[in-house]
Amino acid sequence: MNPSVKIVFFRGQVPAAVQPWHGHAFSHLFRLTGTASKRERRSFYDTFDWHAYEKKIAIIRKKHTLHTISLDSGLETAYVELSGSPASFFVREIPAGQVREQLSACSGIRAFSKIASFDVVQKTSRIVDNNAKTIGFFLEEEYSTAGKNIEKPFFSLCSVQPLKGYQDEAEEFSELLASHGSFGDPFDFRELFRLLMNAAGRKIQGYSSKISLHLDPEASAHESARKVLHSALSTLKANEEGLKNNIDPEFLHDYRVAVRRTRSLLKQLNGVFSPEDTGYFLAGFSELGKRSNNLRDCDVYLLRRDEYFNSLPDFLQQPLDRFFIDLEASRKRYHRQFCRYLESDECRTFFSDWGRFLANPALPGQDRAPGASLPSIEIANASIRKAWKKVVRRGRIACREATDDELHELRICCKKLRYLLEFFASVYPVETVTPVIRQLKELQENLGTFVDYAVQIRFLREKLETIVHGPESHLFAASTGGLITTLNRQKEETRALFHKAFRAFDDHETRRRFSELLENESLK
Amino acid sequence: MKTLALYSIKGGVGKTAAAVNLSWLSSGPQSPVLLCDLDPQGASSFYFRIRASKKFTGEKFLKGSKKIIENIRATDFENLDLLPSDFSFRNLDLELSEEKKPLRKLRKNLLEVGENYRYLIFDCPPNLTLLSESVFSASDVIIVPVIPTILSMRTYDQLTGFFKANGLDTTKILAFFSMVEIKKKMHRDIVAEINGRPGFLNSMIPYSSDIEKMGIYRSPLGAVHPGSPASRAYLALWEEVRSRIGD
Repeated sequence: MNPSVKIVFFRGQVPAAVQPWHGHAFSHLFRLTGTASKRERRSFYDTFDWHAYEKKIAIIRKKHTLHTISLDSGLETAYVELSGSPASFFVREIPAGQVREQLSACSGIRAFSKIASFDVVQKTSRIVDNNAKTIGFFLEEEYSTAGKNIEKPFFSLCSVQPLKGYQDEAEEFSELLASHGSFGDPFDFRELFRLLMNAAGRKIQGYSSKISLHLDPEASAHESARKVLHSALSTLKANEEGLKNNIDPEFLHDYRVAVRRTRSLLKQLNGVFSPEDTGYFLAGFSELGKRSNNLRDCDVYLLRRDEYFNSLPDFLQQPLDRFFIDLEASRKRYHRQFCRYLESDECRTFFSDWGRFLANPALPGQDRAPGASLPSIEIANASIRKAWKKVVRRGRIACREATDDELHELRICCKKLRYLLEFFASVYPVETVTPVIRQLKELQENLGTFVDYAVQIRFLREKLETIVHGPESHLFAASTGGLITTLNRQKEETRALFHKAFRAFDDHETRRRFSELLENESLK
Repeated sequence: MKTLALYSIKGGVGKTAAAVNLSWLSSGPQSPVLLCDLDPQGASSFYFRIRASKKFTGEKFLKGSKKIIENIRATDFENLDLLPSDFSFRNLDLELSEEKKPLRKLRKNLLEVGENYRYLIFDCPPNLTLLSESVFSASDVIIVPVIPTILSMRTYDQLTGFFKANGLDTTKILAFFSMVEIKKKMHRDIVAEINGRPGFLNSMIPYSSDIEKMGIYRSPLGAVHPGSPASRAYLALWEEVRSRIGD
């Protein structure tokens, strides 16, 4: 609405000098009236990767309602009735309306989890002008950690919340308040949010699935690779709890990406580590990948539930219910199995070995790892060049017939190149590496979509082949056939677009960019 | 978003009291309301104790939605905002006449404003000018208070005549009897004669000192005397209007 309206906060308790303002005119301009007190619990929610914060939204649950607050202004933008006190919830569980729309824009897949809870004692007074018109609210609040017992407040503040159209008057009131001296500088809601998250031990935007490293191009390749692998291990560990607690499918997704990145780096950086060491770890990470494949497949199909239903006519939708019920049951089983594996001695030993390996800065012997002591930039250049050439070679082969297998192979090559570019992005100038990644991303999108369709078709075909004859099996077969037909059409449309996507990648401009990236000696 | 105009060619018929009370009754968590005080006398603004910014003029009102949004003010009641009037609004018709498409101007300006509201309610000045025509064009319904007297009925007829003469949709006009004093024979006779005529609502607002005292309380009647007969009459009027606009 009015972008200039903003709540102003002051740290500290209301000074004694201000207390008599309640019910009395304290200046010729304003008066405080209609004071009311309440105690309420406020729970803050966000996704694991802070999507709401990124969209400048704070999500707060009060007694029976869920509110969205603008981080910029501190003003409520929408609210909705929400019973219970869920540890986490999905957007689809929120009744249709503004809140749901706002949260959908943050993330449709991720769960919103409780990140902090406080008990707040709030005293609210109306600020009225000399025309007896309310111009805003004066709030005094005391925050304490939420608990069964009433905890001592750790933070007190008061705030001035203007009504729409009364920002100037509210500012005047704030200045009067500030002139009483015992408050610090006023601050805004974003700062309050930061203070509260600190108090709850939360680091805002403390997790991101994206790689954000600052590598030294001249540092040894061994040191840089360990840094990258360390970052992947942190991602693994950060996602483990959410994965085990089954909060949303993205925990497993990010976990598996970190596993793939680790394997990819170990495999591609030939000569940086001793092959005897990497063999053991590659096998371990491969095991983690394999053991979570079925679970991820179930997640992927469950996420497509609406898409599947919507692509079929009404009478073919109902037979799919059974399919998804079975899928959910299988998912439960696979989740249990995978969690059991994560808790197993084998897995624990593997990770403690891996941790020790990464913590060891000693360079492996020159004979076993001749690339370990070379500058990172040299190894990065060589491995990226090799991976890029492989993509181009494979792509040119695929350009003739573009068979399913060729496109699948090419997709894997692209992934490997992408990981390398992301690992070593920080050793290259941003303006050179960003367009290269962007160009590759476009090709990957086409290949990713294609392989996705191909995998779904194979999965459904297997289902079709194992149908047990029963009273409704013909309907399920018809539904599956309908889905396969739709997916196949989409797959062929994507295949047709491959040539264009690859041409855009294998063109003069991309070649020039790669050459510039790999041959430019002037580093950042 | 539905747009409702409280309009009468004749002044002193209870138009502003109806605008204030209907705005208050129609507002709620799921139906935020904006009352636009287009009357330069600013009586609606007065009832809500709201003064327009000194910089807000009729010229700015026509500048576009941004200027309008900047000048919207919250009333003391949740979900009810007001666009205050300014004395310069008396020249709104002159300003409009300089526009290329004056009849569409108001609708265009309010389209973006309306995104945030379920109901937009105009309290219009008591005259028939280019501004009124612009309001007729921008409104889904024109709610017309009529005192059951000869003169007031005459202005109602003038309005319907104007609509017909200008090819406007007369079904947009919803009239209701206002300031009804049932002890007066003329009021009784006119109400009886008009009863059931298409375009007239069944609800009537009685003449009431409570309504007159709104100027003292400076608040919608329902917020001060929710149980009073006049309050109940406004509620019935709102329910009838709401069902007529299909909400």
